[in-house]
Amino acid sequence: MQSLASFRSFLLLALSAGSLRAQTIEDGSLMPRRALGTGFMYAHESWSQYWEGSLKRDNGNIGTLTTQSVTWVVGYGVTDRFSVMAMLPYVWTNASEGPLHGMRGLQDLTLAAKYQLLATPLTDRGTLRALVVAAAGIPASNYTPDFLPLSIGLASRRFSGRFTLNFQARQGWFLNSSAAYTWRAKVTLDRPAYFTNGQLYLTNEVAMPDVVDYTVTAGYQHGRLCIPISLSQQRTLGGGDIRRQDMPFVSNRMDWAKLDGLMMYTLPAPRELGIRLGTSRIVSGRNVGQATTLTGGLLYTFHL
Amino acid sequence: MRSSLRASVLAVALACAALSGCDSTITSSEALPPLEAASIDADAGSWRMILLSGPTQFTVAAPAAETSAAYAAELAAIKTAQSNLTAAQRGSIDYWAGGGVLRWNQIVRELVARFNLPPAPRPDGTYPVPDPENPFADPRFPFANPPYAARAYSYVAVAQYEALKTAWYWKYQYNRRSPARIDNGITALMPVSDLPAYPSEDAVLSGVTVEMLKVLFPAAVAEITQRAAEQRSAALWSGKATASDIAAGLALGKAVGTALIARAGADGMKNAVGIPAQWQALADSAVAHGEIPWISQESPPRPPMLPNFGQLQAWLMTPADVVTERPPAPPSTSSDQMKVEVAEVRLTVEHLTREQLAIAFKWNDGAGTYTPPGHWNDIAGAYIRDARMSEVRAARAFALLNMAMHDAAVGCWGVKFLYFNPRPVQLDPAIKTVIGLPNFPAYPSGHSTFSAAAATVLSYLFPQAAADFAAMKEEASISRLYGGIHYKSDIERGKQHGARIGGYAVRFAQQDGAH
Repeated sequence: MQSLASFRSFLLLALSAGSLRAQTIEDGSLMPRRALGTGFMYAHESWSQYWEGSLKRDNGNIGTLTTQSVTWVVGYGVTDRFSVMAMLPYVWTNASEGPLHGMRGLQDLTLAAKYQLLATPLTDRGTLRALVVAAAGIPASNYTPDFLPLSIGLASRRFSGRFTLNFQARQGWFLNSSAAYTWRAKVTLDRPAYFTNGQLYLTNEVAMPDVVDYTVTAGYQHGRLCIPISLSQQRTLGGGDIRRQDMPFVSNRMDWAKLDGLMMYTLPAPRELGIRLGTSRIVSGRNVGQATTLTGGLLYTFHL
Repeated sequence: MRSSLRASVLAVALACAALSGCDSTITSSEALPPLEAASIDADAGSWRMILLSGPTQFTVAAPAAETSAAYAAELAAIKTAQSNLTAAQRGSIDYWAGGGVLRWNQIVRELVARFNLPPAPRPDGTYPVPDPENPFADPRFPFANPPYAARAYSYVAVAQYEALKTAWYWKYQYNRRSPARIDNGITALMPVSDLPAYPSEDAVLSGVTVEMLKVLFPAAVAEITQRAAEQRSAALWSGKATASDIAAGLALGKAVGTALIARAGADGMKNAVGIPAQWQALADSAVAHGEIPWISQESPPRPPMLPNFGQLQAWLMTPADVVTERPPAPPSTSSDQMKVEVAEVRLTVEHLTREQLAIAFKWNDGAGTYTPPGHWNDIAGAYIRDARMSEVRAARAFALLNMAMHDAAVGCWGVKFLYFNPRPVQLDPAIKTVIGLPNFPAYPSGHSTFSAAAATVLSYLFPQAAADFAAMKEEASISRLYGGIHYKSDIERGKQHGARIGGYAVRFAQQDGAH
């Protein structure tokens, strides 16, 4: 159910100077050489319905589950073809009904490196780019993943490899497609046994299934404004369903498809300041909440 | 080129940072080495019975002579089987070589965890009740909550113990050796001892356990039956027992099972859920005594868990004993002491350390788990394994432990529904819990009662580890305050109550002849 907490970090950005395009882990943009973009993003995610396996339901003992976060983001252009990024969210959760206590804390530090393999003109219509990204996530505090849906994350170390194709048309349209495979390390619980996926495990260690995700984005850029719309999917390659009337579990098969709309705007002055507003909605899922997310952020670019 | 190199160096560095020293493989089960019992406990046929009148209540007919043609054919069949063993068959042998009693205890823990889920509410806000006559429907039968689980663990353990004592008695009446000892052409693929093979203890265990589990977990009958058949096959393939050793053991196990099933059908479980008029009477009684009655905090409100479980038959206590051992009334809901205790819960949860949270989670054993009695079976299993107990002595240990925890459930539930005392969350809605809130009255703490009863029994069985059991009991008990679901007095009185109840099992064990 905490689907978004663990992968939210992939959607964050650092705004690049001179271009309205945000730089995210998944997009086709890079920071210019020696540009450093940094800022804070706020996200408000909530759901009142979730999928218990494939059964969509509400739960009077949860009501509306709200997850908020403030994330520090930073991106730096090492060269014009190679950028590095880091993100660190502080997350807090709350259930509107029932007695369960919210959780709060620093979630996972994500580090990423993005490299442009090629950028080639395609006829006279635009430019095609291919990029690869390596990203790693490490829990930044000793939070528990064993209190879903109120845990702030899944506490699994992970590493992902991503490939992105981007086409930027001269008229301002762009298309982006990106896919990644994420390896996840086992997590350790505070208890000596657990039951999931039809089996009792007499250990405190949980094997985490790997994850694939893919995103298709179409957008338009004009003047200081850029509006990308994305459809993204996550598929977990294993794990059990939430059982009938059970709580979610860290290694559940958490799948979702999501629609995402963003608006990015660079101020006329100071030109280094960018604003980002976004919204997203889970349209289908399994073992996740049907979350609606609102995001807002301010990012500033330094030229070093 | 330079940046390309830099990119790959950084990618490798990130991968190492994320995954180093932390691979993704886990070991999912307790390791059980092949059981070579420290003693074969040849006198176990004379150990004191719990339910049966004695080892001759069920008779095992004399086997064919070791020199008979029929027996020679059975030996030949083992040799044929051993010459064609598949990898899966060898896997079965290795699995069951760890000890039947320990393996079945693991299996029952898994069944409890699988069936320990409360029914989901209906659209109209009411809750269906699991139906033993229709166990595959939604909700499946049973809801293996802590009292149900305590009872289930105890029936399986007592049934196995009674059946094995009977088997030991008949083994030494007939003294038929194991096939691997008789015939050099048969290889012992499991440890084989001087214990007579007829009737086969593996087959006794398979038979008696299946009979109990069919009643306790009827929706799992197919899987249980298959596992039991595998246990018998493993005994034969391993050269430990012949077909007639196994047939006699299976028949004896099933016969002993019928005696336990008869008791289970009349122990009061079928009335434990009760009816709405009884639930209302519990609240009315609390009000009549000037107390705030317990109210379900679930949404929609759920009927309390097994309100009449306190009237069940105990194993080692008479109904009068159950009443005599009860703790006194809890602090009045309107008393100053209760205000202090409510404030303590709130303060504790709001200032919980990470270590305290870990303790709350470690001992939570809530819905979907093997329950607190299962946790104590988990703990006991490691000591029983390390002590290399014979099957019959391992069954005794689990029987003593689980009779005490069943009696603790009966005692604790009786007090819970006598006083119908509200949870901290009900008296102060600002209190939030870090574990699921149990849907039954607070006083006294079930975890504390179970844990003190278990620690008392285990400290008798394994005195060298008494300090460890005491520490675990304290941690399990205080975990409920950290979780935000119990007052300190629930915990203190629960521990005292549980220790008294555990004393009954210790006194039984001191006089059962198993020294």
